[in-house]
Amino acid sequence: MIHTIQLDRILQGAVDTPYRDLVTRPTGAAVRRSVESSISEAHCVTALLDFSAVGLLDFSCADEVVAQLLLGARSGKGHVLLMGLSEDQSEAIDHVLRNRHLVVAVLPRPGETPFLLGATSPEARNAFRFVHEVGPCTVADLAQEMNWDHFFALSALQELAGHRLVGVDRDYYRPIPLQ
Amino acid sequence: MTRIVEVPAHLDDRSFDQFAQALAYESESPERVLVDAHAAQWASPYGLVGLLTAAQGLGQLRGEKPLFAVPTSDEVRRYWARAGFFKYGADLFEIHGKVPKVPTDESDVLLGITPVRAAEDVHDVVGKIQEGARRILAGELKLEAKATMGFAMALSEACQNIVEHAGTSGWAAVQAYTWRRRLGRRVVVIAVSDAGIGFRRSLEGVQARRYGDRWGDGAALESALIQGVSRFRDPGRGQGLAGIKRYLARWDGKISIRSGTARLTIVPSWDDDVPLSEHLPYFPGSQVQIVIPAQSDTPR
Repeated sequence: MIHTIQLDRILQGAVDTPYRDLVTRPTGAAVRRSVESSISEAHCVTALLDFSAVGLLDFSCADEVVAQLLLGARSGKGHVLLMGLSEDQSEAIDHVLRNRHLVVAVLPRPGETPFLLGATSPEARNAFRFVHEVGPCTVADLAQEMNWDHFFALSALQELAGHRLVGVDRDYYRPIPLQ
Repeated sequence: MTRIVEVPAHLDDRSFDQFAQALAYESESPERVLVDAHAAQWASPYGLVGLLTAAQGLGQLRGEKPLFAVPTSDEVRRYWARAGFFKYGADLFEIHGKVPKVPTDESDVLLGITPVRAAEDVHDVVGKIQEGARRILAGELKLEAKATMGFAMALSEACQNIVEHAGTSGWAAVQAYTWRRRLGRRVVVIAVSDAGIGFRRSLEGVQARRYGDRWGDGAALESALIQGVSRFRDPGRGQGLAGIKRYLARWDGKISIRSGTARLTIVPSWDDDVPLSEHLPYFPGSQVQIVIPAQSDTPR
């Protein structure tokens, strides 16, 4: 199940501001807590955070909302995806995630293949694209497609699994559910 | 008895040290301070928020408001009034002289002097600035449209420095004007100032031991601005100044931070400022100036 969270609405509910900018750490922390509650109540597999009606996103708030959310979600079973990001918002998120060695998937538009922001290896990026374009695959499938040895492919997929960027079902690595 | 502290005729980041020297902030003299701006001809946003900071600091230190003599020039008085100086100065100074009642002018004063006390004020600052910033940055400075967002982010992070680290309130101001002598181009200037604990005290707990005898205002500024150190041990902290530097690198901007007795500057190619100045006259808190120049025709 996909649970879409409109961050502008969360912002309006979390802090008393007439603006739609995600700025400052206290604001970010308040928004993140609301997002965590929303995800928890929805019992969803994939949480889709929609930034499309958000104005400015500063670095401090990006760290509080996205990076801290991912840190908290690491131990869970669900996936977090972002959508509706402007170029500036993408840059801010990429910057803070690299600083914390984190990575997140971004959905450019509904129906398109997601891509990654943050600190990840080129191999993991390629593996992520492969899984999300082709569908569930084994280590052997990826190794054959990319012409990698087994352990190289395994390492890339495990990196993705460690960041909750693919699902793991026995021998298969599955794309993040988007429907 | 009264001790007169003259405001330089042109008060900006360069002449500010002259003002700080005359202020002798830590002087134990019981004389009441008169900040005398009668001969002032011009003040940058940095100069104006610096004057308010001086009054705030003196008020905290001595428990009494310093006196303030307003500029003689009607044009200067009106300009300072339009920037919001007297609106907040009236609470901090005992003002002597005629203060004009004029509305804030939004043509070149992008953000009149605005108090920054809490996160809500940062929201207010960022919300107010965006439309004007778009007009000035894209229209006058010929920056790409996407520069506006980065500009607002830089302003947000600079203001948050007060909320997170200063331990007191401060002010922000943004203005566009032409730097005839120094650059010969239009610039937008962000000035943010507070009379709080400053970088040295903020970072002492996490950095002083590492630096040993070299620890001081200059080392603290280097830690924060160059190395991205924060007083919080969380690796996600300290990203605000890093984000500002990133933005300035892209748009050939300049940042200068004065705290205590030191000033650290990231000097762009168009400027001849000194990267690190130490042993300056003491001034409380932190003063940040960010300058974004009009772009040359070279696309970036």
